[in-house]
Amino acid sequence: MKIPYYTKKKIYGFMFVLPWLIGFIAFFLVPFAESCIYAFQNLETTKEGLKGTYTGFSNFRYAIFRDTDFIVECVSSLKNLVTIPLIIVYSICFALLLKGEYPGRTLMRAVAFLPVIIGSGVLMDIMKTDIFSKGVISGGNETVVLFSSNGLSGLFQAMGLPERIIAFINTVISKIFDLTWKSGVQILLFLAGLHNIPSYAYEAADIEGANAIEKFFKITLPLLTPMIILNVVYSVIDMFSDFGNTIIRMIYDTAFVNVKFGYASALSILYFLMIAVVLAIVYLVLNRFVIKSEV
Amino acid sequence: MRQGKKIFWTICKYSILILLAYQLLYPVLYMISGSIKAPTDSYDPSVIWIPKHYSLVGYIDAFKSMKYISALFGSLLIGLGCSVFDIISCALAGYGFARYNFPFKRLLFVCVIATLVVPTQTIILPYYLNMRYFNMFGLFSVLSKITGKDLSANLVGSNIAFYLPSIFGAGIRSGLYVYIFKQFFSGMSGALEEAAYVDGCGPLKTFLHIMLPNAKNAIVTVFLFSFVWHFDDYYITKQLLGTKRRTLIVALSSLRVDLAALIGGQTTTDPIRIQTRILAGCLLAILPMFILYVIAQKQMADSIEHIGIK
Repeated sequence: MKIPYYTKKKIYGFMFVLPWLIGFIAFFLVPFAESCIYAFQNLETTKEGLKGTYTGFSNFRYAIFRDTDFIVECVSSLKNLVTIPLIIVYSICFALLLKGEYPGRTLMRAVAFLPVIIGSGVLMDIMKTDIFSKGVISGGNETVVLFSSNGLSGLFQAMGLPERIIAFINTVISKIFDLTWKSGVQILLFLAGLHNIPSYAYEAADIEGANAIEKFFKITLPLLTPMIILNVVYSVIDMFSDFGNTIIRMIYDTAFVNVKFGYASALSILYFLMIAVVLAIVYLVLNRFVIKSEV
Repeated sequence: MRQGKKIFWTICKYSILILLAYQLLYPVLYMISGSIKAPTDSYDPSVIWIPKHYSLVGYIDAFKSMKYISALFGSLLIGLGCSVFDIISCALAGYGFARYNFPFKRLLFVCVIATLVVPTQTIILPYYLNMRYFNMFGLFSVLSKITGKDLSANLVGSNIAFYLPSIFGAGIRSGLYVYIFKQFFSGMSGALEEAAYVDGCGPLKTFLHIMLPNAKNAIVTVFLFSFVWHFDDYYITKQLLGTKRRTLIVALSSLRVDLAALIGGQTTTDPIRIQTRILAGCLLAILPMFILYVIAQKQMADSIEHIGIK
């Protein structure tokens, strides 16, 4: 019996994905399904361990109609999506700066990678308690407060700018500070993407007499579109699943401080559904603009 | 005129770079300055960045109380092992998603993204139990019904608990690596594969000999992310390592408590003396990742020149 080529190809493709699929089922789907079952129960710690009885949709109903914080926090976290275009533009610019050849590039690249190293977990906690708070509090140090908004607002006050403008500039500056610390991963992804653009595309453009701006908009940006969509998706996920996020904290506290696993599971499922809807919209809109490389 | 313009742009570029570098380096500079300060300098208001009296006692104490060598060894074993396994499994999956069509492909790719969206905290409890009473995807429990013995293994505390999810592409943020590989492979030209197929290469051979060497940038990127995230991880690592062994980050998280035991009770009431040691500990924990990054990013740059010559 001879298997047709296209069927064979389907089987090959499936074989490539198979290891991941096994891992997905064993290490994600099964734990996730168990966690979903908790959501329909009121789990309590008894002497024999965790015990729960089936309570139907009551956890979900409570979260949507009676919990005063959850829905409000969800809506306010949606507002953060506005910063994503900023993150993308900023990280493309930074990646372009890192790509060229110049003295000190290795150092600069290493510095740009710092947010990835520090930005997660324990190190960030230590930084928040020991470093960032310190810099703002210990006044007299000029260089330290330059980037915390206090130093600059003093300067603007001395210049006689109106309060509202100062407040606006302050929020912008603190946003920029946030931005640099949130775009480590994106910068590295864009850098790898930039390196993957074949150099002959640029050589051809040089021969045709294109200038730098034309090269950026006609070559770099179109060939970077797969990376842009990847980065947008990652930024959305990162924004919603970062441990500093209030809802993640709320879920964590409900589960491990108040020991209400059932309710915490219900909250996380609702939250998950919300992120899924946001991601689906973002992906479907952006995927139209992806340009497949034919160079 | 042209020369002047060039100089102007170079100055612009460097001033932006210096500004960005300062902002990103600020915490590290603070750590360095804070960790080498002698206690007397901490109370001296004229000392801002550069201390007048140096002392390395912070490093020595942090080194001892973190049990640095064994913790580093633990971290490296987990970080390097997991990142290598992640590269293999995720590159395979990414290639499958990028180049082949098979039933339910879109649904499965949605699942890849879903693994990223669900926060680890929500599945950590069943995940831990899965590792504590590991039964090889239900295989052991079938076997134990036959033999009548309980065959489920306790993986908590061994490195296998970290490697196993990575081997099957389910390590920390593996979904992202699959996505990265997919984007890279689908950006590559199909001509090489067609040529390989005409020359009689099977799919696995094509993947290993043609596609993988050309995806060096993706490999380096995934390696860096996977290494750093496994190295940096606290929640999963703490659960799965058990109580006997520690990684650098787990050691760092309990440094404050451990220091009190090492240098006596009076220092815990003195926040500045304890802080120098904690900052030293932070630097010691960052250092391996930093060195690795500097080595690995060179690979990323080189690979491109190589392809350019081809």
